[in-house]
Amino acid sequence: MSRTLYFIVALLLILIVLVLGLQVGSFDTGLASIADAFFNYNPDNTIHYAIVHLRLPRLLLALVVGASLAFCGYLMQAMVNNALADPYLLGTASGASLGAVLVFFGFVDVAIAGFYMPPVFALLGAFIVTLVVVRLGYRKRQLIPAQLLLAGVAISSLATAIVGLLTFLSDSEGKLKAVIFWSMGSFERASWSLLPYPAAALILALILFAFLQKQLNILLLGADRAQALGVQVVKTRWAILATVSVVTGFAVATSGPIGFVGLIVPHVTRALMGTTGKSNLLFCAFTGGLFMLLCDLLSRVIYPPAGLPIGIITSFFGVPFFVYLLSRKNYKFSS
Amino acid sequence: MKQNHTLYFRLNRLFYTCLLLLLLACNGKKQEPATGQVIVFRDDLGRELKLQHQPKRVMAFSPAMTEMLFAICDTATIIARTPQCDYPTQVVTKPIVSNYPVDYEQVLALKPDLIFSSEGIVPMEVVEKLKELGVPVYIQKYRTVEDVFKGMEAIGKIMGREQQANHLADSLRQQVKQLEQRHKGQARPQQVLAITWTDPIYVYGQNTILTDKLHILGAQNAVQEVFDQPYPALTREYILKLNPNVLLGGSPEKLEQTFFSQYPELRKIKAYQNHRIYAVTGNLMERPGPRVVESILELERLLYP
Repeated sequence: MSRTLYFIVALLLILIVLVLGLQVGSFDTGLASIADAFFNYNPDNTIHYAIVHLRLPRLLLALVVGASLAFCGYLMQAMVNNALADPYLLGTASGASLGAVLVFFGFVDVAIAGFYMPPVFALLGAFIVTLVVVRLGYRKRQLIPAQLLLAGVAISSLATAIVGLLTFLSDSEGKLKAVIFWSMGSFERASWSLLPYPAAALILALILFAFLQKQLNILLLGADRAQALGVQVVKTRWAILATVSVVTGFAVATSGPIGFVGLIVPHVTRALMGTTGKSNLLFCAFTGGLFMLLCDLLSRVIYPPAGLPIGIITSFFGVPFFVYLLSRKNYKFSS
Repeated sequence: MKQNHTLYFRLNRLFYTCLLLLLLACNGKKQEPATGQVIVFRDDLGRELKLQHQPKRVMAFSPAMTEMLFAICDTATIIARTPQCDYPTQVVTKPIVSNYPVDYEQVLALKPDLIFSSEGIVPMEVVEKLKELGVPVYIQKYRTVEDVFKGMEAIGKIMGREQQANHLADSLRQQVKQLEQRHKGQARPQQVLAITWTDPIYVYGQNTILTDKLHILGAQNAVQEVFDQPYPALTREYILKLNPNVLLGGSPEKLEQTFFSQYPELRKIKAYQNHRIYAVTGNLMERPGPRVVESILELERLLYP
């Protein structure tokens, strides 16, 4: 009963924040002009254009990316059975930063065949680093979570060090700013042509794991017991790995590595819905999206017009809540 | 490489120490020729600097400042340059000193009497450290073109080259006055947006010298709002609202590739519609130095083709 209520509240809040978010920008716009933009859209009216082509995709991208990161964080925590796991454990974030930074520093053309390269190389970087990490965490035809964790930390550090080196050697301030952007994230480049990629990845993943939620919950008991209870541990782990690398990869390539969401939202989900709730993954995605929408809105209200880097806001507002959650007596990571 | 450097420096220092001792031993009396003649002055940040004598060995921490020194000082007094300094051509004869990070040992090895810099080039922490090491740093800051001219005169005064400096500043002022006359009272000043980076979008803000250059030409910086940073980050929506007549920051072909392909929404701005997108010479645009008028003339050619 209360779980359904939480779902309804989350959805309502998402709608409210979306409507609020549509009103924030450089042009002065009230509810009336927003309604006007949607029902009487006039492409020559710059305000309408800004609302439909700039504000709306930005909000939706924040929603999708927040949902993706929270969802992947939940999967990773379940897979390695560790409360500290987050979607970037596989090195996605630092791999993406490295890919993008290589473009900014002139190792690759900024545009190839009319395609803007930084997001493409961010995606490539994320995938390559993830592959290396997975390869290192794979032994005796088994994925070993502890080994995966360590490999992730090590390879991430290496990628971060390379980014650091390039940053240090950079000859222009603009490049430094680009690196800062890529280390803290932003939704400013959102557009209707970019949005379908992360959105499609997320939706497919949500559908896939609608069938695997039960397996996931049993996995929290530990690999041996899960195996005894009939869960195909190896296959489930591979499914998680593949999903996390694709979904996180797209999220990071479009918006930069935004921290913290993938760590705390899964905990919030378990605190509210119980550790083994039937629809935890879906709820986790909703909450992650809502949290990210709120953070983006805040960042733009506090520091117009460009907004503070979103990663700063997620940490500032996420950490106190997380601390509160940890101090609650009845919260446990696994059952 | 670094090791060699240090060794070289040490040997050098040893050599000079011996030389100094020798000199002291030879004629102990000739030591204090100019006591009581301490020169005290303030830089643009209000910091007080004291010099024992008029500086004979100087260098600059920024390419613009190096250009200033070459325009005003006896070139023999300029003892070094930074890796970015590339103008005027005779600058290449001077040894390079890294300004990021500052190579303290190299600075000490060259023993400048004074280092010139402008605001924001090196952190204040570095400036303080150099002061402790006995090398004062004089810092200028410029908001307007006139500030640059005043800076020239200040350098002239410090270096005992007032005549050269004032002459240069006055002739440049004359040129600026003519430009102002030519473009006075534009009915509808052109709104110019100059970008410095495309992802994220950073632009020349209101509190940069570009605003004054455009003002001289009867045009306006499209960014009228004053932000904390000289080069603020802007959103696409903000730029749509500004709707500038002219966009500076790259050739149309280059910006098509790196800017408009990424932000197709911005094709709506007037500058794009009317094909008024221009590349400017980075060295001129970015350096507040003796070529500042050259930079304004370049802008004039672009704004009034």
